[in-house]
Amino acid sequence: MKAVKLDVKSVDRRIKGTSFLGMDGGPPVSVDVDKGRMVRLRPYRYDQKRSMDSLSPWKISAKKLEFGPPKKSLPSNMGLSFKTRVYSENRVRYPLKRVDWDPNGERNPQNRGKSKYVRISWEEAAQLIADELKRVNKKYGPEAVLVEADMHAEGKHIYCSHGNQARLLSLLGGYTLQMRNEDSWEGWFWGAKHVWGGTAVGEMAPMINLYPDIAKHSQMLLFWGCDPETTPNAIAGYMASRLCYYLHDLGIKAVYVCPDLNYGAAVHADKWIPVLPCTDAALYLSIIYTWLDEEIYDKEYVKTHVVGQEEFFDYVLGKEDGVPKTPEWASGKCGVSEWTIKALARAWAKLDTSQIIGNGGGLIRGPYSHEPARLAAIALGMQGLGKPGHHQAKMIEWNLDDKYGPMPYVSDVTTRLPGFSDLVRPFDLKRQTYFKVSDEVAEQALKLQGPITAKNTEGPEIDLGAFATRKTSVRGNAGLMELMKYDEHGPIQSIPRCLVAQAILEGHVDWWGLLTFCGPTSQQWLHFHYPAKDCSRIHMIWTDAPCNITCWNDGFQFAKAYQSEEIECIVAQHMTLENDCLMADIILPIVTEKEMGDICEDDGGGTFQAIYRTYPCADPVGESLNDFEAVARVARALGEDYYENYTKSRVWENDEEKLCEMFYSATGLPEKGHSYQEFIENEGGVHFLPRSDIYEKTPAGLFEFYVNPEKYPINTPSGKLEFTSTALKKYFPDDKERPVHPKWIEKGFYHDENISSERAKTYPLLCVSNHGHWRMHAQCDDIKWNREVETMKIRCKDGYQYEPVWLNPIEAQKRGIKHGDIVKIFNERGIVLCGAYVTERLRPGAAYIDHGSRFDPIDPNGIDRGGAINLITPPNVSSKHCAGMVVTGFLVDVQKVTDAEMEEWKRKYPDAFSRKVDEGVGLCLKGWLTEKEPAPGEIPDSPITGAQKEG
Amino acid sequence: MGKKAFVIDVARCVGCYSCQTACKDEHCGNDWTPYAKPQPELGAFWLRLEEHTEGTVPKVRMHYIPRLCNHCDNPKCMAVCECHAITRHEDHDFVIIEPEKCCGCGKCSEACAYGAIYMNQELKIAQKCTGCAHLLDNGFDLPRCVEACPTEAMKFIDLEESAEETEGAVVLKPEEGCKPNVYYKNIPGRFIAGLVYDPVRKEIIEGAKCRLLTGGRRRETTTDLFGDFWFEDLPAGVHDLYIEAEGYAVKKLEGIRTQEGKSVNLGDIAMDPAEEESLPTAEEWEKIKEEVAMGKKTLYP
Repeated sequence: MKAVKLDVKSVDRRIKGTSFLGMDGGPPVSVDVDKGRMVRLRPYRYDQKRSMDSLSPWKISAKKLEFGPPKKSLPSNMGLSFKTRVYSENRVRYPLKRVDWDPNGERNPQNRGKSKYVRISWEEAAQLIADELKRVNKKYGPEAVLVEADMHAEGKHIYCSHGNQARLLSLLGGYTLQMRNEDSWEGWFWGAKHVWGGTAVGEMAPMINLYPDIAKHSQMLLFWGCDPETTPNAIAGYMASRLCYYLHDLGIKAVYVCPDLNYGAAVHADKWIPVLPCTDAALYLSIIYTWLDEEIYDKEYVKTHVVGQEEFFDYVLGKEDGVPKTPEWASGKCGVSEWTIKALARAWAKLDTSQIIGNGGGLIRGPYSHEPARLAAIALGMQGLGKPGHHQAKMIEWNLDDKYGPMPYVSDVTTRLPGFSDLVRPFDLKRQTYFKVSDEVAEQALKLQGPITAKNTEGPEIDLGAFATRKTSVRGNAGLMELMKYDEHGPIQSIPRCLVAQAILEGHVDWWGLLTFCGPTSQQWLHFHYPAKDCSRIHMIWTDAPCNITCWNDGFQFAKAYQSEEIECIVAQHMTLENDCLMADIILPIVTEKEMGDICEDDGGGTFQAIYRTYPCADPVGESLNDFEAVARVARALGEDYYENYTKSRVWENDEEKLCEMFYSATGLPEKGHSYQEFIENEGGVHFLPRSDIYEKTPAGLFEFYVNPEKYPINTPSGKLEFTSTALKKYFPDDKERPVHPKWIEKGFYHDENISSERAKTYPLLCVSNHGHWRMHAQCDDIKWNREVETMKIRCKDGYQYEPVWLNPIEAQKRGIKHGDIVKIFNERGIVLCGAYVTERLRPGAAYIDHGSRFDPIDPNGIDRGGAINLITPPNVSSKHCAGMVVTGFLVDVQKVTDAEMEEWKRKYPDAFSRKVDEGVGLCLKGWLTEKEPAPGEIPDSPITGAQKEG
Repeated sequence: MGKKAFVIDVARCVGCYSCQTACKDEHCGNDWTPYAKPQPELGAFWLRLEEHTEGTVPKVRMHYIPRLCNHCDNPKCMAVCECHAITRHEDHDFVIIEPEKCCGCGKCSEACAYGAIYMNQELKIAQKCTGCAHLLDNGFDLPRCVEACPTEAMKFIDLEESAEETEGAVVLKPEEGCKPNVYYKNIPGRFIAGLVYDPVRKEIIEGAKCRLLTGGRRRETTTDLFGDFWFEDLPAGVHDLYIEAEGYAVKKLEGIRTQEGKSVNLGDIAMDPAEEESLPTAEEWEKIKEEVAMGKKTLYP
């Protein structure tokens, strides 16, 4: 054929973000738009409008090989396929009300998760919510409303995904805050902090200049519970993939320690050591034993850089409990042969070695996750942490608190706005928290933190590092900061997210720590109670983060809590009908970031740091609104006064351009001579931040501490690495499950999830559940293009696309399971149906399933078809003083689902099986609507029909 | 614009599926007639990423191969098409199924050696990769799959300008004689791997010499600091392995089969101590000498 001149619809090109993290914009994409509809999403090409040199790319060089940013952005697969999600059959298209929830009659809380929905108007929905808020407030007080508004979502800024309802509720006198618990860095926060202080989240600090140093000096990298081809994707795209190849080309050995041949190991590993899930503490102890036994560790360093080593070494050598932690001892627990343990120990001692992490991973998200995390820090310490080539480095959130290193991460211009972009982002610059601790807790804090000074009269001082509000933001636009302020009635009661279900079901709960989701070690000594003094228990929930069932601990317990009589009304606002939405009484439809205009920044992509103005790329689907506007409807229904105050005298109304300009000025760029006008004139609003060379001049990681620990102490009470924690000795000397120095906890009061357990006779497999490869936690389960890939979903014989559960052929054969069979993964907590994925990518003794698959209740009290594995994760927190969650490394069994069993369920739960399931998307809106369809024309049937705005 | 080709480095593919996704993004729900009608959302993969998992725990490796229309110089599809719907693009030589001419008989789909042609049941036409010709003809510089590849494992080249890019590359199923224009580098062969250890001392053995004999060909490697050895990129066949380490008896593992396209993990291989060589007693020595003299035995076999 001949070339044909064709309108390929590429004239209207807009820049958009792809992050699912909620604060960063993520790697940008170019979106071609035609008549209110997205045509295509492509990587942003840096070199098309300018030369690469003009961007002054960063560079790493070692051994004559160079590494730097490519000529295009590296958005994730999920970012590139977002079109399917905008037009997904799973979208909430208009406000919904649960059919048998009657605020003036029967509320039927027991039917949450079972009964369907009817379409209502925005006016009716807003009025229902307003009336409930007034009633609940009057009857119980403001704290009776729980705000669930933390964690990830698309990167939206001027109208943020999270916390808008909190803004409104503060005008009603307050609320109870669901406090985000440490998620994805549990072990580092509750454990490693006691060894090395570290960052706000407990990872090694500082992180500056690590990869240039690793490239030059490291000989071996231990990817321990780390998947560089998964965890970074939805936040940072594929810079990690490129970096892994570069490090490989330099001849650095990549050793992966994880039960599964994860996606990184599958293509990058030189050596895979498949450890049994969450038995890493035993493996570490035996490595340390080998070093002690053979005297192959940095003895001089330990003498000068460490405190509390004798006590810890005595434990390792068996002097404390009579059990030397030998490779033989460990082998039976962790499933790695004695000879491989010794070889690993010797290789680590011989080669310049760094540990690579991706925040979480199985290593630090299981039972007692503080133990392996502390041991990781200690092991690095024994081999001279801070020495060239000896670090802990991240493959995500490049350098975290350290802005340039050299891949750019958050900087001074990042619009870290208070209490808004993420609810738990702190408001008060001095206190770095907007959560007002109760008098009782404030008193404790004062006692713990020494003499009363002006700075701690209101509570402890918290350094939130990268998560804190920037001074630049305050300086850049004081007016905007004023708009953001809404803490006159900030919450005085909170519940950690991992304890919300327990709080509802038992009516009370207590915990230590968690003043904010990260911060200094000192907050860990604070003891909290729910209900707080003079506060009501919760009776209403308003969530904009409806994924506790599929992302947190013991999801079936959450489902039960949401069915409680105590909870009279649940409101959810979300773009898609999924997970906790199915437990809600009222659901509000929300737009995706692609349907709104915004101002974003690429903070974490690792290529070039940029601020960019984005414009809507699609008409809003159905009647969906942005989160801010959705809550504004409720404010209006409460009364004009509320609306005036919520919008700060209408300054914060639907004026995208004005807000973008305000947010732009909060970056501080106008101060530096880059006006908004100039910004907008460049490609409609793109500004690349200049590269900083700070990293080149800064010693890598803990090098200064390595050279002179007295002059450059680390952030621990002693200023040194604490193999036995001086602080834990002081505050919790008798804690058997997080002892003063790390131990192997075979079984304890809080968890009994080991293969030596009695329970293992019934549930013999240890479940590994990583961050999803095809999802960002609960986001993106409905991308139909990916659902055809077998590691994402397996279409089984009944045509349903099941979440895959990986099994080694040995375990599959024992159970008569074949690849593609419908199976159940289960324990005492319930049953989750899956599709069997039989593979050599997993060791025997384990079952592997990603978290975040959507909840499709057959019975919301015990049987799920959607593959939401967190339904059966352990209920308890990490351990007594550690309010973390346990979402991997727990006991299960997997068995084939027989036809008879399935038929029995179908007989018993006919409604669950009769819900419509879309062939490509799976669970969908239509499946949850009552039979009575709205009149034709009322529903925008075609997924790409434009907005049906109210009159 | 001259003749184009795809060059894919399998050793640089992380299996992110961005290529497959970008293809769907361009062609699902978008109508680019006369180049192509929309690709169905489900069941069709004009670019399909193929997964390969080799070996057994803990010696397992993966590689991914992006499969698309090979835009062959000798396309079988074109030869069997009776309605002349399959033509060659005049500029870049892509093989295009023109949707408006296609009768939907499906012969091309059956004839294609690579399974690259999908039948669209709804539109009743045959469909496949167009090389994103509609974009290249209208201002774009790259097909969508290539542009989306984050590791640049996929390259799109002009054969006249950069023929050297195809050096050392292979095409799939050359025996079919289709002369594809999609080239692959570093598609790995099978491997034989294992770990060598001393079961008594419970230690790995580093530096053990491993010899692999395949027909007349001999390969050698030594075990690394984890006791591991890897023979990579092996052809299908039967192999004999000999492992030697000082102080141990030679280990013979014969008849290892990498036929049926399978890589082999030999697992943890226990080495036995070398047999004690005790000297014969004087009496025995006399007897041996006698036997040698009688021609019953040779002294140096």
